[in-house]
Amino acid sequence: MTRKFLHVENFGANIPYYLLPFRFHRINETKEVIVNEVDDFLVVPVGTAAQIIERKINRREDATLYGDLLANFFISEQPIPELIDVLATRYRTKKSFLDHFTSLHIFVISLRCEHTCHYCQVSRVTADKDKFDMGREHINAGIEMMMRSPNPHVTMEFQGGEALLAFDNIVYAVERTKQEAVLRNKKVNYVICTNLAPLTEEILAYCKENAILISTSLDGPEFIHNKNRHKPHSNSYQLAVDGVMKCRQELGEENVSALLTTTNLSLQHPEEIVDEYVNRGFRNIFLRPISPYGFATKNAGKNKYQTTAFLEFYKKALNTIISYNLNGYYIREDYASIILKKMLTPFPVGYVDLQSPAGIINSVIVFNYDGKIYASDEARMLAEMNDFTFLLGDLSVNTYEEIFYGEKSMELAEVFTNESLPGCSDCAFQSYCGADPVFNYTTQGDTWGHRPTSSFCQRNMEIMRHLIELMDSDKKIEKVFRSWITGKTDAIKN
Amino acid sequence: MRTSLTMAIDSRIYSEQVLYKCFYWFSQDYTVDISIGEGSFYNVLIQPNKENTVVDWDTLAEKVKQQLIDFKLRDIVSNETKTIRELIVAKAFACYDIDTTPQTNVSDPVGFIPAII
Ligand code: SF4
Repeated sequence: MTRKFLHVENFGANIPYYLLPFRFHRINETKEVIVNEVDDFLVVPVGTAAQIIERKINRREDATLYGDLLANFFISEQPIPELIDVLATRYRTKKSFLDHFTSLHIFVISLRCEHTCHYCQVSRVTADKDKFDMGREHINAGIEMMMRSPNPHVTMEFQGGEALLAFDNIVYAVERTKQEAVLRNKKVNYVICTNLAPLTEEILAYCKENAILISTSLDGPEFIHNKNRHKPHSNSYQLAVDGVMKCRQELGEENVSALLTTTNLSLQHPEEIVDEYVNRGFRNIFLRPISPYGFATKNAGKNKYQTTAFLEFYKKALNTIISYNLNGYYIREDYASIILKKMLTPFPVGYVDLQSPAGIINSVIVFNYDGKIYASDEARMLAEMNDFTFLLGDLSVNTYEEIFYGEKSMELAEVFTNESLPGCSDCAFQSYCGADPVFNYTTQGDTWGHRPTSSFCQRNMEIMRHLIELMDSDKKIEKVFRSWITGKTDAIKN
Repeated sequence: MRTSLTMAIDSRIYSEQVLYKCFYWFSQDYTVDISIGEGSFYNVLIQPNKENTVVDWDTLAEKVKQQLIDFKLRDIVSNETKTIRELIVAKAFACYDIDTTPQTNVSDPVGFIPAII
């Protein structure tokens, strides 16, 4: 076999190159990040983007950078790159979360709750008011709508109030869904969101039998959790911790997860919160900022904290988590993991708050206890404050088409891609970030939002910048981050 | 105390689009008025949103200049790559089967191209 080399002119220094779509952002005094159309990024010295654009990168003198830019689709030597089909496939993969449409169907099975948490995102009501449970006709209609989703794989999530107070409703809904799923050839995952206080052996056995996942809340050590989650005459923390242990024993560790709700009090204790999760044997922690909905906005004194304070808390907690990993205890921070998966793999992440087109309707829909249908959980919380902007319809009145392709959904479609939002359209982090019209509306009064004053933008931009800076500063941290995506713990030991 | 900054920006260098995109990000702390000035110049008047704010005007002017350059660069990329971007998106969502083995020599490190043997 003969081997031929390309003609000598292919190796010249001054071949003009063409730009491919990319965006850039300064990450510190000395470095900037460039991100291409399919999410690949390179960290380069400040000024490199300008040099690329001004065609000052020389094929021979800057051979390594030139090669990186070419291989990573930042530049091309042909007006239309030969691998355009690869780029198109990568782009399609990035947006593949759209292929099957709505997956998460939230059923607010009861609004009743026995806790009196100060930041509660929905109006609390006493535990004995049956009128706050979801009616059977509404459950039936919700299941029917869920079965109409083109997605072959849907999630049915039961929320409250305290969902377990209406366990009979849950059993009814699961049994009915099981039958329908067989008929419609659908795979259904079940999740119950609960504070675990009403947990019984009977409930656990049913969850085990039906592979129902449990999602609960743990806000940190006892003094934080109990301050946040007030339950008259009992210890909410102890109930949650005991409940987690029981669920793990019965259902297996992987079927129980805990969410953290951050409050003013938590902001002062990042390390203690992480320690608590480690001490309780968790392998993941989700550092969520408090949402601006429901009672949370009314209780300004307790809950209105600056995004800057949250970011400071987040970075300290993340630092502690990274240290645990470097010392051999695997624990993942979920918010960072979602972003990192977008940064380091070609795949999308099904996380509704960081999607473009947005998660509302495309990925999630909420059926409220009273039959009303909302675009997201946050939209439902807004309605609890008597603002029905994101009310899409009613289970007993509207058809699937009217809800998902109706006027309101079309209106929202105008503002749910960050590719076309002011500020976001030029942002280097566009493809890692998302559009959240409900958040924009709640915090800024309009669905388009104003990026320079948006806490969503401020938070995400800084977290993304920070993650890239961390990876660039220390390869060991990058290894830890990669292990969060792959779940392979041995990566951090090498 | 100085309460505003006026800049004359040459429209032959910075388009209206670049100006608006750039000053959008200053609107958190400042009110920005853009008007047509003399000749080919835009007049940009920048005032702090809150009265009695102490502003380091030199630093602000530097920041504006830097941001103008950055947004001009973004504008160049965006204009030059508009067609290719549309092509990528169109191909990504078009209903057709992509060749499983794209015809290319890019991943061919020693210049081995079967077609020219
Ligand atoms: S919200 Fe902010 S960080 Fe996110 S894409 Fe838009 S401009 Fe970028």
